[in-house]
Amino acid sequence: MITAGIDVGIESLKIVILKDGKVIARGTGLSGGAKRAEAAEKVWKEALAAAKLKPADVNKVVDTGQGKQDIAFAQDRVTEPVTDARAARFLYPKATCVVDIGADQVRVVNLGEGDKILEVVMNQKCAAGLGIFLKSIARTLGMTLEEMSQLSGNGNNAVSINEMCAPFAEMDALDLLNRNTPREDIARAVTEAVAVRVNSVLNDKIKPAKDATVLIGGVSRNKAVVNSLKKRSGINFLIPEYAEYAGALGAALIATG
Amino acid sequence: MTQEYWKWPESSWTYRDIDWKKTKTITAGVDVGTNSTQAAILCDNRLFSYSSLRTGPDFRATAQTALMQALGKSGLKIKDIKYIVGTGWGNRNVTCAEKTVDEINCHARGARFMYGPAVKTVVDLGAQTCKAIRLYGWDRIRDFAMNDKCAAGMGRNIEVMADLLQVPIEEMGERSLAVEKDPEPVSTTCYAFANTEAMGLFREGYTESQVLAAYLFAIAWRIYGMVGRVQPEKEIAFTGGLAKNPGIVKRLEKAMGMTALTCEYDPMLAGAIGAAVIARESLIGQ
Repeated sequence: MITAGIDVGIESLKIVILKDGKVIARGTGLSGGAKRAEAAEKVWKEALAAAKLKPADVNKVVDTGQGKQDIAFAQDRVTEPVTDARAARFLYPKATCVVDIGADQVRVVNLGEGDKILEVVMNQKCAAGLGIFLKSIARTLGMTLEEMSQLSGNGNNAVSINEMCAPFAEMDALDLLNRNTPREDIARAVTEAVAVRVNSVLNDKIKPAKDATVLIGGVSRNKAVVNSLKKRSGINFLIPEYAEYAGALGAALIATG
Repeated sequence: MTQEYWKWPESSWTYRDIDWKKTKTITAGVDVGTNSTQAAILCDNRLFSYSSLRTGPDFRATAQTALMQALGKSGLKIKDIKYIVGTGWGNRNVTCAEKTVDEINCHARGARFMYGPAVKTVVDLGAQTCKAIRLYGWDRIRDFAMNDKCAAGMGRNIEVMADLLQVPIEEMGERSLAVEKDPEPVSTTCYAFANTEAMGLFREGYTESQVLAAYLFAIAWRIYGMVGRVQPEKEIAFTGGLAKNPGIVKRLEKAMGMTALTCEYDPMLAGAIGAAVIARESLIGQ
């Protein structure tokens, strides 16, 4: 049986094609702007080509993510916590909690027996301080996201920036640049701000288990943020190899029935 | 490499008809903004050259580079410049400057130089701040207002929005004007919500132009509310990077019931030119 999952995020879309419980292709692309449906179509064709398949070979396509309504070729739609849960269960059968840090959302899903979801907690108030913010501030610092994560490790915990509001945080970062603060120290401050933000959601309602919590989503690739979050929360996260594709994987798994 | 929608072109220019060796006073202004840095060189009272580039993470190096680019291949050296004024948010990093002057005065003077003496109100549409300045006399400032709290909807945020909506930043304004009638403005211009807002609008059936119009209309309204605090008078001039965005300028003009002056200079240069004018006066006054 061949199924596909499409995760239409606010920033990027991810596709996973699954054959008999194994991933045979992945695809990704930007999803913003007026042409979300076309962008999805393009990534879909690329993924199919990579898997050497025709659209008719795929038994079922399920989509998820904030832009899921825009995908015409998906037969079914599932909400994000459900795909997060399904992927986490598949990757780590003993997981009891999954944390998804994306472009503008952080979501904590507490898992119960089988497919049960006990509780979902998300960032309130404002979407700032996550993936979109990291991307924008890396540009201000003249670094790539990888460089920012690396340099942050060399930085001293000497300065801090606003952790609540992205435009304010950028203002803080620019102010520090203006004072010729070392860039690695600012990168460190950015990292800590994001970690503080995510940690507050972790502490909100659910107390994730120390050794059975899965971390997924694009920001989980930022090693510096993850390390700081580990320290702050005391959780030893389980991070899968293709963490940003977890939502799409979950959707593909759900498509299998 | 994916297309970088936020990028705007850097530039530099030299006026070849001026022989700097024959001028009495050579002065310069360097405006280090949060997003862009300009350097302008005046030979007597004429613009000799300028440069405009993106502010890098090292503000000092950026200020230096801007000045070097303005000098260009003219043969002019920094030591030939008799007086340099630094301005802008990063003015402390113009290490070669004789003194620093605040942006408000520099923009006022720069606008007078660029748009002529009829200017009574200057609105600087910058990367992080929007400043409305009311003038009287030749070099006095009567009133001044700035965006409070937050930089949402200002230049830097528009860059992020260009990326998120995948529209080249220089085309945003024109594309937004393709609508027959402006839709309701969006409720927030903050980039943290831009994509979520836009997604909702697209789903309601908005075209790209309508989404852009909803954004730029909201931004223009925010600026309009702020400019109102100084009771603007004719003639009005818009300076700064967003003055190049007709989607904002046209809507702002409509709201205010005024048409802004236009000029041959790049509106982003106002701060640097103003600084160079003030440098010249400081030099003569010595």
